[in-house]
Amino acid sequence: MRYVIIGNSAAGVNAGEEIRRKDKESEIIIISNEKDIAYSRCLISRFLDGRLPETQLYFKTKKFYRDFNIKPILGKRVTAIDTSGQSVNLYNGERFSYDKLLLAIGSTPARPKICGLDLEGAFNFYSLEDARKINNYIKNVKKAVIAGAGFAGLEAAYALRKLGVGVTVVERCPQILPNQFDYISSELIREDLEGLGVEVILNESLTSINGCGTIESVTIGEDTDISCSMVIFATGVKPNAQLASEAGLNKDRGILVDEFLKTSNPNIYAAGDCIEIEDMNTGKRQVSATWFNAVLQGKFSGLNMLGIAKRYSGLVGIQNAVQFHRLGAISFGMTQVTDDDLNYEVISYYQKDGKIYKKLVVKNDYLCGMIFVGDILKAGFYAALIRNKINISDFKSKLLDPDFSHAYFKNENFDQVSSYAPVPSCWQDPQHWLTERSMCMGIR
Amino acid sequence: MKKLYMRIERCAGCKRCELACVEEHKKIDGLNPKTRIFVESINDRPVPVVCRHCRDALCVSACMAGCMQKDENTGIVTNQGHEQKCVGCWMCIMACPFGVISLSDDEATINSYAFAQAVKCDFCPDQDTPACVSACPNEVIEVKDIKEEALCGM
Repeated sequence: MRYVIIGNSAAGVNAGEEIRRKDKESEIIIISNEKDIAYSRCLISRFLDGRLPETQLYFKTKKFYRDFNIKPILGKRVTAIDTSGQSVNLYNGERFSYDKLLLAIGSTPARPKICGLDLEGAFNFYSLEDARKINNYIKNVKKAVIAGAGFAGLEAAYALRKLGVGVTVVERCPQILPNQFDYISSELIREDLEGLGVEVILNESLTSINGCGTIESVTIGEDTDISCSMVIFATGVKPNAQLASEAGLNKDRGILVDEFLKTSNPNIYAAGDCIEIEDMNTGKRQVSATWFNAVLQGKFSGLNMLGIAKRYSGLVGIQNAVQFHRLGAISFGMTQVTDDDLNYEVISYYQKDGKIYKKLVVKNDYLCGMIFVGDILKAGFYAALIRNKINISDFKSKLLDPDFSHAYFKNENFDQVSSYAPVPSCWQDPQHWLTERSMCMGIR
Repeated sequence: MKKLYMRIERCAGCKRCELACVEEHKKIDGLNPKTRIFVESINDRPVPVVCRHCRDALCVSACMAGCMQKDENTGIVTNQGHEQKCVGCWMCIMACPFGVISLSDDEATINSYAFAQAVKCDFCPDQDTPACVSACPNEVIEVKDIKEEALCGM
């Protein structure tokens, strides 16, 4: 057997690892167009401002590829998939046949189509290579404008501030982090960032980049000019689905996969940022570019490629943890409720001076979303209630009590969601915790 | 692999385990040491809660720095002592279904990479028996050496 994995990041590497754990014999090849060994995309802002040296970005070491007997082919782009001949073609004419193929080809930064994108000083903030380019350019930069106040944009803003560069972040929505957080939490995070000297402009977007050869200013909205010498685009990503659609696989925004992460071709699987799959909260197909989802999907796809059928239906599209400056924040599941749906209950706790904000979204006795800012301890327990669809009707009045913890659910079989079967052990343990005598305590 | 088991009916809620844990880890945490074991309560009855060192630990999957790792031999899950360093992104706190990962924010000891670091049970590497086990007057906490496969049925 030969397993070929395209993509050398969260999903691809974890799929390879999972396959090797169960199958010691087969050949595993990882092909990537990036020349670095597996590094963490989430850490590039820390590399940019020098908090982390480059060697600290690698979430797997070189030794990993040796230990797991995975052959990395790096810095080479796959140009086509031949589904009838079961092979992938590289840009240089090389060919690799496969028995099972995994597409973990990630996403591409989406830039708005405006004038001046070709000027020197306009960068994406997506890959290690981008960070290196910014690093080389930044010496003479006094002022930078960042388009987009999502995670990447704000991480970049923080890093540039640390380097002493003046930063203005421009966001077209009325709040920062519009996809992940609600208004109150985003304001708390914005205050935290502004304490650092990051200027945030909301409800506006870049209309053009001006300059001659190099960037001199940007125009925001109708006619506001901000002079700057660098622009960083952090305006979201779109899934890489082209390779798949050219090979005749079904796609919409991302590559379409079934609950076993199989594409429309039985020998090809897909995982990570490039796929589109049903969100367990909304029931709608969703693209999710988050690290944790990519890792889990990688593990699931690896098991399914081995023929160990594991159903993945546990996508929670939004799951983010972050600390830009002093304030930690976590959002999970459905964090914003539209006014026209009366089935949702919102339980919240807000302490403005202490900068603590907690919000839980409940629908029909089930928790479906949460935001924790300032005090993030036990967030994972609430996330587990969401992910495992645990009925919380008996606990509604207690939900935000300080002593509300997973201790209340000792007898709950957290393993019921079959989609999380590959990571079950911790959820099976509770039964083993309960000795005969402890049952007498009357804990329900 | 070693696991901590709780005979919870014996727990009197004295929190000596928490104190011992804080004491044991002050050399890692610095001036503001944190406990890694938590005496929670169910309807006013105490229940000690601690990391289970899961077989397929979600905190390990979630860690974007590759710092949280499970030792293949001992089974211990920790973010200490690895080539990759904790950057304080809190993905593990978001992932852990048991809510037993905390954070240490002592400015003197945290590395230059982060404002704070995730802290969790590390099975007290410097001790033969974890500090909480030794400290408990009622022998609530017990170290058992078990095969994870037997627990998981996989």
